[in-house]
Amino acid sequence: MKLLVCVKQVPDLESRFKPDPSGQWYSETDLAFRINEYDDYAVEQAVRLREQLGDAAELTVLSVGPDRVVEVLKKALAMGCDRAVHVQDPAPHLKDPWQIASIIAAYARSQQYDLIFTGFQSQDRGSAQIGPTIAELLGYACTTTLVGFSFADGVVTATRELEGGLKGVVKMKLPALVTCQLGLNVPRYPTLPNIMKAKKKELETVPVANLLQEETRIATESFYAPEKKGGGMVLEGDVTELVNRVYAILKEKTPALRQ
Amino acid sequence: MFKGLDYYDIDKDLNPQSRLVRDTVRDFVEREFIPKVREHYRAGSFPTELIPLMAELGLFGANLTGYELPGLDETSYGLMMQELERGDSGLRSFVSVQGALVMYPIHRFGSEAQKKRWLPPLAHGKAIGCFGLTEPDFGSDPGGMITKAVADGDGYVVSGVKMWITNGSLADVAVVWAKLDGVVRGFLVERGTPGFSANEVTGKMSLRASITSELVLTDARVPKENLLPDAVGLKAALACLNQARYGIAWGAIGAAMACFEEALNYTLERKTFGRAVAGYQLTQEKLVDMATRITTGQLLALQLARLKEEGRLRPAQVSMAKRNNVAMALEVARTTRAMLGANGISDEYQSMRHMCNLESVSTYEGTHDIHTLIIGKDLTGIDALDR
Ligand SMILES: Cc1cc2nc3c(=O)[nH]c(=O)nc-3n(C[C@H](O)[C@H](O)[C@H](O)COP(=O)(O)OP(=O)(O)OC[C@H]3O[C@@H](n4cnc5c(N)ncnc54)[C@H](O)[C@@H]3O)c2cc1C
Repeated sequence: MKLLVCVKQVPDLESRFKPDPSGQWYSETDLAFRINEYDDYAVEQAVRLREQLGDAAELTVLSVGPDRVVEVLKKALAMGCDRAVHVQDPAPHLKDPWQIASIIAAYARSQQYDLIFTGFQSQDRGSAQIGPTIAELLGYACTTTLVGFSFADGVVTATRELEGGLKGVVKMKLPALVTCQLGLNVPRYPTLPNIMKAKKKELETVPVANLLQEETRIATESFYAPEKKGGGMVLEGDVTELVNRVYAILKEKTPALRQ
Repeated sequence: MFKGLDYYDIDKDLNPQSRLVRDTVRDFVEREFIPKVREHYRAGSFPTELIPLMAELGLFGANLTGYELPGLDETSYGLMMQELERGDSGLRSFVSVQGALVMYPIHRFGSEAQKKRWLPPLAHGKAIGCFGLTEPDFGSDPGGMITKAVADGDGYVVSGVKMWITNGSLADVAVVWAKLDGVVRGFLVERGTPGFSANEVTGKMSLRASITSELVLTDARVPKENLLPDAVGLKAALACLNQARYGIAWGAIGAAMACFEEALNYTLERKTFGRAVAGYQLTQEKLVDMATRITTGQLLALQLARLKEEGRLRPAQVSMAKRNNVAMALEVARTTRAMLGANGISDEYQSMRHMCNLESVSTYEGTHDIHTLIIGKDLTGIDALDR
């Protein structure tokens, strides 16, 4: 059984973000990068399935991006993936989700994977399109935002998170793609011995030009921080006067007192 | 998430594996250790509940090879130490002792049987070790030690007192240094050996999240096979210290970066006289000095790693890095403590804890002044410690 897990490297979200000179994305200066949180759950789940299936399975991890993404590939290898594919793209942020999904689908098509794992969205762009679009392009069954996963007798049983805390259970035959959500599992640490062992695992590099066949369909117009909201208002005076002023402000600025 | 300081863009020159080791240990410290450190520091206890996970991560003896040990390169190993000490010097001390002062001497000076018996359980955290060199009356001058071993039938009888021994009361095995016929030798003294006991040192105002003990040996019988065959002379003990000092040179950077981050964030937020404290020239000078000294320490440690990797490392070079980086970290911690005003004395913040810890780090593994004399001898050819 052939398994694929797709991972993206994203900046630490606690960083201070500044637009880059092009005004289309954030500047990477001073940012620390790490694996997209939801992709960490995807890797963990894929590795658990790989362990369940034993040597009957092979698990590949794939990432599109500049050289720095090798670090997340190494992490996934150290967590238990068998081989890695680095689709080299110095500026993946200039491609839209349609293009990125097409690139991954182009690689995956040649490999005939049985099951593909992705995070349900990236923490930086947050479009949540990559997983479902890959599935659509490959003609795979797809279910999203998994909080539970099991596999037996060729059937995936997935627990999904629905709005308002509800859960749903779906079953799918292979080939299929699932996207992973917080709560699915607790990812393991890549241990130091496994980090060292991962050095010997295969890391294939593919120039993005070999896989890119699609034009961009959406273009980022601008990228900016929202305007700072004005500071709070401090009112002083006696109570009657204050009540009148608060009433006037609420009436003018909010729908609370309009009929 | 802790980001550290990378003013000279060193990160990009690290290989992905080193970055991954660093980030793994950083995550571990952030998620598992930081939430507990205050409680343990107050109680004067070490979080022993983390030992199994630390073992699983492969933190013990990480730069040693064979016996299923990770065999990390020296830069990755150094970064691991940096991240541990960013948490607390006690955490780094635990890992230093287990790896550099217990597993290393067994790995380097032990018999095959000793290695097979001890290295796996020590690596897996199933056995804890300690290193007993210092005595109540001999610290900087360990060659003067009184602890003595006498051959007796199929073993040795060891007597003496060791003081300030990290992990002493936790240890299943103690690497004890004693004179046998006037020559310093290393012995593996096991927990439960009749005549051997460990008493915890109390009242410490530094390194509180670490166990420190006195080891008492009163005619303790050590079997013949527990003598480290190749550990002959004080230089064997010093070789172990050299390994540990290497880790300290990196570890101190972690403590300093933790303080610097605290100083920067605090002074950017805190307002006095209507302006952020970071906006004043006096504050900026302090921050600039800290960042410069941390960056200098990073470069020193990096070159030290290269020398160690290539087998070109001289002990005096390790002394220089230990001496410089610990003094740097202590200064950064003290300055941060002051910059936080009253909050700086509270354990809601970390700088006072790091500051107190670093007093120990400056003292153990050769005091600042002893390292001065080691480098001084190296430069001048004159041994100020010569009797
Ligand atoms: C928390 C903690 C943990 C420790 N863990 C261990 C451990 O696990 N194993 C172990 O064996 N030891 C351990 N030590 C002991 C440590 O290594 C010694 O304390 C250290 O070597 C200094 O020895 P001392 O305390 O006897 O000081 P002394 O040697 O008595 O020195 C006192 C002062 O005199 C100065 N001095 C000494 N000689 C000279 C000189 N010739 N010229 C100028 N100044 C000089 C020193 O710099 C120091 O300031 C630990 C210590 C501490 C605090």
